[in-house]
Amino acid sequence: MRWPAPFRKYYERWLARRLPRAPLVILNQRRIFIFPTGYGFFYLGVAALLFIGGINYENNLILALSFLLASLFLVAILHTYRNLSGLGLRNGGSESGYAGESGSLGVTLFSDNRAHHCIWLKWEGQPAQQISVPADTESRLWLNLALPRRGRVLAPRMKVESFFPLGLLRTWSYVSLDHYCLAWPSPQPSAECPAEGGQEHAKVVTNGKAGNDEFRGLRGYVPGDSLRRIDWKGYARGMGLNTKLFEEPAGGRLWLDWDVLEGIGREQRLSILCYWTLQLDQQHQPYGLRLPGMTLAPDTGDTHRLRVLDALAAFPEAG
Amino acid sequence: MRVYQVPTHTRLWLVMTIVICSLPQLLRGPGWQAGLLALIVILRALADRQRIAMPGRVVRGALMVGIVVLTFYSFGRIYGAEAGVALLVSLFALKYLEVVRQRDAYVVIVLGYFVCATALLFERGPGMFAFVLFCMLLLTSCLVGINHSDTGARPMGHIKRAAAMLAQAVPVMLLLFVLVPRVAPLWNMQVDSGKARTGMSDSMSPGQISELSQSSELAFRVAFDGPVPANNQRYWRGLTLSHFDGRTWQQALPRGQDIQDYLFEKGQTPPPWYQLLMKAGRGEGYRYRVILEPTERRWLFALKVPVLEQGQAGLAKDMRLVASNPVSEAMAYTVTSYPNLAASLALDEAERDLMLSLPQQGVGRRAQGLAQQWQLESSTPQQVVNRALRYFREQPFYYTLKPPVLPVDPIDEFLFVSRRGFCEHYASSFTFMMRAAGIPARVVVGYQGGELNQVGSHLLVRQYDAHAWSEVWLDGRGWVRVDPTAAVAPDRIEEGVRAALEESNADSDALASLKSFASSGMLGKLQQWVDYVDFQWQTRVLGYNSQSQMQLLRELLGAASPLRIALALLAGIAVLLALYMVLLLRRDRGYQQTVMEREFWRLHQRVGSMGEPLDAGMTPQQLAAHIAKRWPAAAEIARQWALQYQQALYNPAISVDKRRIRHLRQLRNRLYKLLD
Repeated sequence: MRWPAPFRKYYERWLARRLPRAPLVILNQRRIFIFPTGYGFFYLGVAALLFIGGINYENNLILALSFLLASLFLVAILHTYRNLSGLGLRNGGSESGYAGESGSLGVTLFSDNRAHHCIWLKWEGQPAQQISVPADTESRLWLNLALPRRGRVLAPRMKVESFFPLGLLRTWSYVSLDHYCLAWPSPQPSAECPAEGGQEHAKVVTNGKAGNDEFRGLRGYVPGDSLRRIDWKGYARGMGLNTKLFEEPAGGRLWLDWDVLEGIGREQRLSILCYWTLQLDQQHQPYGLRLPGMTLAPDTGDTHRLRVLDALAAFPEAG
Repeated sequence: MRVYQVPTHTRLWLVMTIVICSLPQLLRGPGWQAGLLALIVILRALADRQRIAMPGRVVRGALMVGIVVLTFYSFGRIYGAEAGVALLVSLFALKYLEVVRQRDAYVVIVLGYFVCATALLFERGPGMFAFVLFCMLLLTSCLVGINHSDTGARPMGHIKRAAAMLAQAVPVMLLLFVLVPRVAPLWNMQVDSGKARTGMSDSMSPGQISELSQSSELAFRVAFDGPVPANNQRYWRGLTLSHFDGRTWQQALPRGQDIQDYLFEKGQTPPPWYQLLMKAGRGEGYRYRVILEPTERRWLFALKVPVLEQGQAGLAKDMRLVASNPVSEAMAYTVTSYPNLAASLALDEAERDLMLSLPQQGVGRRAQGLAQQWQLESSTPQQVVNRALRYFREQPFYYTLKPPVLPVDPIDEFLFVSRRGFCEHYASSFTFMMRAAGIPARVVVGYQGGELNQVGSHLLVRQYDAHAWSEVWLDGRGWVRVDPTAAVAPDRIEEGVRAALEESNADSDALASLKSFASSGMLGKLQQWVDYVDFQWQTRVLGYNSQSQMQLLRELLGAASPLRIALALLAGIAVLLALYMVLLLRRDRGYQQTVMEREFWRLHQRVGSMGEPLDAGMTPQQLAAHIAKRWPAAAEIARQWALQYQQALYNPAISVDKRRIRHLRQLRNRLYKLLD
């Protein structure tokens, strides 16, 4: 149901005031809403019918049965509420993604001393996912998040919902975790590599082999090294995980530079830088990044690529 | 779109619930219902194991048509209580065949509530209610199960949770049961359970009451508020019979009077005799509550002269209570009986004529002659009565359940030839002779006596207590009870029909069928308890109507105003729910100290309480050093304690067992002594 705009705005403001964004939320009576489900109303209707039947047949036992149904409903309010109360939610990591596609946010649910069963989590307007949290444990759930544009995409308000144990009542809360997902610029191909420093950077691109030529030796694998540089043959021989080292290419360090792309729009510049980051990474070409206000030293590997992409994603937005 | 399936761990509960909830109807209803349920359970089990395809619309439709046809075949119709319940239970089973999604399961569960309710229509004992509570437990387990979509959930977990919730719901239910006002029926619905009732009929001919005396079925129960009258005073009047046709006594109205003059019901203008009765001085009375088993008749049983306090019934001029409808369900009424009130009624001319009338045919000619002879020889009616009683006492009359058949003249043949009879023979012939002697008389039928339940001290009146006696009109005293049977068999009145008949061989086989309530030993005790529970259930639970509710609420709340009831209801529910809230949401006990930690903190606290407060972050070694500094005498033991403590904690070769902990405790106790 869609409320008229003024009401909706007022409701949103009220919600935001009542449930402010926080890094960690423990659900309590301030945050938990509860209301009968459709089946709950139906159930109450059945209890009312039995009441009328008991009155008309002057049958005290049927009356007692209808009272028992009503009492069970009342008790179910407490139990349904209890299932959500005391549940903690916090930031559980994020997986970045390209703008226009989707990333995902991790939500960690934790409980202190009580199990919480069948909790449904969802962003508004999206399918829900179910999770149960046993007592004294943590469970993490990944929720996909659409990334409409580059930059930090704040976690929208999340609905935490539960029907347990009887399905007669729905208890829910809105949680806004202080939590965001980085959206990398979507890569935009361009002919010219916006790099400085390597004289041969244009060729680098065309022959596509540079950087692999001058093998220098091996060193032990460090997490973050590119998987493509691992000495797999050696690993198969039982020599352990080693990373192959290469001589710096003749062109030296490549610097992907913001300033080179002068005259192009901000987002487009970032998209081109993103494209070349991916290209150079594929070719194991060491590259650095220069953005206004920040510099990342040239390097190779998955960690480096992610660092560069995140830097592009986190670049301040216009205005 | 999310499709919620019924989890597998709930399937078993669903099947069990359906079978168990249907049981009462399966046992009561036609046999094909059990077959249908078995068929459906088997079909479904096969489908779940993928041996056959899920039955489609055609199969389900065919079953549906079959159910309707069979119901019509069994009951002759498909509406009405019996047929309706049969149909409901069959649909309940049929619905199970198509349960796939959560929604279907919800429908099954709701049907289950109705099936439980209908079980209570036909049987209202405490056992049935306990059974329905058990069904509710199963239904609630199903609800828990279908809402618990974790694949790892345990079926037993569902029933535990359901039991906890129901246990919390029951006190709230009791509160609602006591406090929610009973509304008058919106429209009248009566379920006729269709059982033939044994009990008194509205006429009396020879042999009728002796037939009744073979049954030990319960007629009614009575709980007295004060003292219980002696056995020979417990004459429960049901009907007065004043017209005799030579064989059968029947009810009759005096000529020229209609029922409104004779029977006063609430809402009518009180007839003169009623006004007179209400004005008269009452004297002492017995207050009691009667729970009458269904009789399908309108008359109620009470001692003379009943004044109704609670319940719905009218008073007839012959001093008996009359219900407004035939009693088809157990009925409760509270009465105060004033024996002295009988004197204040008058006997008008038409009534006197009726009470003196004799049959047209020539029955009882010798009896009439005898009675007229007594009349001539006596100066007062009382003397005539005494003569008649003496006649019964002195002539060889026998009290027996198996009197000979008297085909020609039931009066003369009995009085002068067979002289063997049951109470109706004595009452009939005595009343006949009184009328012949010019004394207005009538026959009263009802029950006499009743056994006392030792546990609950209420009376049980059974069918074999059925009795007939006479009432004669004596000027100045009104209607006076005369029981000719008492003259013949005093035991019958003092100790009941069993005692009276035990001596005669002819009756012993008839007696064998009468189970005595007062049988001895464990079984008798158990029977008394069962009866006590049943009686309490009848009065407290089934008989809890708007009148007794108002009375109870007046006692509990001071006044039974709607506002007070509403407040009490709200407050009660709030208190209960708050209590549950505290129980449910209490934090579990905080961090539990280990034995070793406790050992350390005890000493730490002790030392801290004797001097300046200690730092909480102390090591055992530091604690020992602190003790050594303040109490040099204790230095050595403190050092040992710290050493043992640290060894127990940190030396992997030394295990922390009971012996070691005991040793530590001993060291600590020795330290305590040195610290003072």
